[in-house]
Amino acid sequence: MNPVVGVAAFAAVTLATAVVGFYGLKVSRTTGDFYVASRTVKPWWNASAIGGEYLSAASFLGVAGLILLSGTDALWYPVGYTAGYLMLLLFVAAPLRRSGAYTIPDFTEARLDSSAVRRVTSLVVVVVGWLYIVPQLHGAALAIRITTGLPAWVGPVAVVAVVCITVVAGGMRSVTFVQAFQYWLKLTALAVPIVFILLVLGGATGTTAPAAPPAVNPSALAPAGPYQIISLLVALLFGTLGLPHVLVRFYTNPDGQSARRTTLIVLGLLSVFYLLPTAYGMIGRVVAPDLAESGQADALVLLLPGRVVGGMAGDLLSALVVAGAFAAFLSTTSGLVVSLAGVISQDVFGGSVRGFRLAALISALVPLGIASMTESMALAGSVGLVFAFTASTICPVLLLGIWWRGLTDAGAIAGMVTGGVFCGSAMVAGSVLGAAATPSWLAQPAAWTVPVAFAVMVLVSRATQGRVPRTMTRVMTRLHTPERPLATER
Amino acid sequence: MTRVRVTAPRSLRPTAVLTGGRSAAALREAAEESDAGQLFVRSLIRSQLRLALVVALGFLLILLAFPLMLGLVPGLADSTIAGLPFDWVLLGAGIYPVIGLSAWLYVRTAARNEARYRDLAGDK
Repeated sequence: MNPVVGVAAFAAVTLATAVVGFYGLKVSRTTGDFYVASRTVKPWWNASAIGGEYLSAASFLGVAGLILLSGTDALWYPVGYTAGYLMLLLFVAAPLRRSGAYTIPDFTEARLDSSAVRRVTSLVVVVVGWLYIVPQLHGAALAIRITTGLPAWVGPVAVVAVVCITVVAGGMRSVTFVQAFQYWLKLTALAVPIVFILLVLGGATGTTAPAAPPAVNPSALAPAGPYQIISLLVALLFGTLGLPHVLVRFYTNPDGQSARRTTLIVLGLLSVFYLLPTAYGMIGRVVAPDLAESGQADALVLLLPGRVVGGMAGDLLSALVVAGAFAAFLSTTSGLVVSLAGVISQDVFGGSVRGFRLAALISALVPLGIASMTESMALAGSVGLVFAFTASTICPVLLLGIWWRGLTDAGAIAGMVTGGVFCGSAMVAGSVLGAAATPSWLAQPAAWTVPVAFAVMVLVSRATQGRVPRTMTRVMTRLHTPERPLATER
Repeated sequence: MTRVRVTAPRSLRPTAVLTGGRSAAALREAAEESDAGQLFVRSLIRSQLRLALVVALGFLLILLAFPLMLGLVPGLADSTIAGLPFDWVLLGAGIYPVIGLSAWLYVRTAARNEARYRDLAGDK
């Protein structure tokens, strides 16, 4: 591929992000506007922004790569990513908005009236955030190496630099506009090339649909058994609702009902988006199985337009896809850095502006260090493990906190620590043993770590029933009762 | 005009949305204080939880039925729709309408549960 294409695409995305951010900044200038904005952001904008933040490197590159590698087994990933939002809608969207909490530690502290719970939750959130940023940076390394021929470390460093500059300078304050723009950019970046690819393939073979995927498995991966699929689905379904950068976006909804409506639109946007990586993976199995053999499956989305279309048009389409990929790295990373910086600055630096900037730097630089020391596994797979970790730690405390009156601070801490230690050890063991030697119960731990975390939380809470906070009734009422009397609808 | 960085919500002040002389805050207080109010709140929480569980279980059953169907009905996995293999169409595209429909049903019914609660608690 022409190396200029990659560099130009990255520069264009950075510039466009800055311009949209600046424009949004002008729209919401004062603090007053900022608060009012939380009431005037339309569900469509908000939903696009949530989609923009959620669709990460794993969705943009990883899903197609994994489909190329393991076929229909990998189709469970996009299904799980989307269905996770259904669970979020069913169990947490409206109550979390009504809690008025801005971060997950804010929520657990308010619900359980305990600063110890807050500190444990903060720690878990920071670990989740860091683990989630690492695959984004691996994706950036891959994209830079494939598209420009520059050394791989340039990609993560560039992404972290752009994110740090925008967050520290305050340019991401109009984050809703930027993220909403990123969603539509990502959708376009996959949709336009696939139209051309289908036209070219259709013209070449004389049929409109691509040939059936080959039955042969282009990789050496064994097909997933029922345990692996169920465990993966547990991780994805219950991991989504605990992701730290998702909750902040719900705060911009005016009330619980609009939080539900927004989530409904998000589900639509995600459903439309995930048809595209699925199509890339499917076509890739027909025309580019060699990528799986050479261990470059995650680059499929980046390389397919150039391969199939070719020439000048191919270069332009490749530039579009590369731009979409960088939009994915930038939007997810900046969303995570902003929410992590909020947590770290409040807990460590007392919430000052200088503290926020310092916290933002820490939030971005630590994962950069981790990413430079680790090898990229399959992107979708490593993000799947982060979901398993979230599902074993934050998910139980959110679900039980919202729906069960008996939860105590001791139970919450015991459950989060148990889930975190079990799932964390499984992840470490898995990376030490290597993909081939890891038994499936360690490779996909969610099916047992999530129930264990729930059980520990419930049992310890039962044993410490005297510690149910006195504020519980008031908080539960606040979480579940609608905000406004129904004057307008009657 | 000064610009202030916002990293946390302002103190949880009651929103004074006045409608017919009765504010949302007052309604909430009434619900928190009285036994009858708590009864309504508990029944609202129960019906919302039951609704969420029913929708979740229904969706999971349909999800589970997809691979079972492919495994148990002979020849289904090898058949094609418009030139595309059936199992790919089912898993790659067919599940999304089910997700959307479940979500839509839930949002509608949850809003209805809340309207019923408002009627009970507000007209007291």
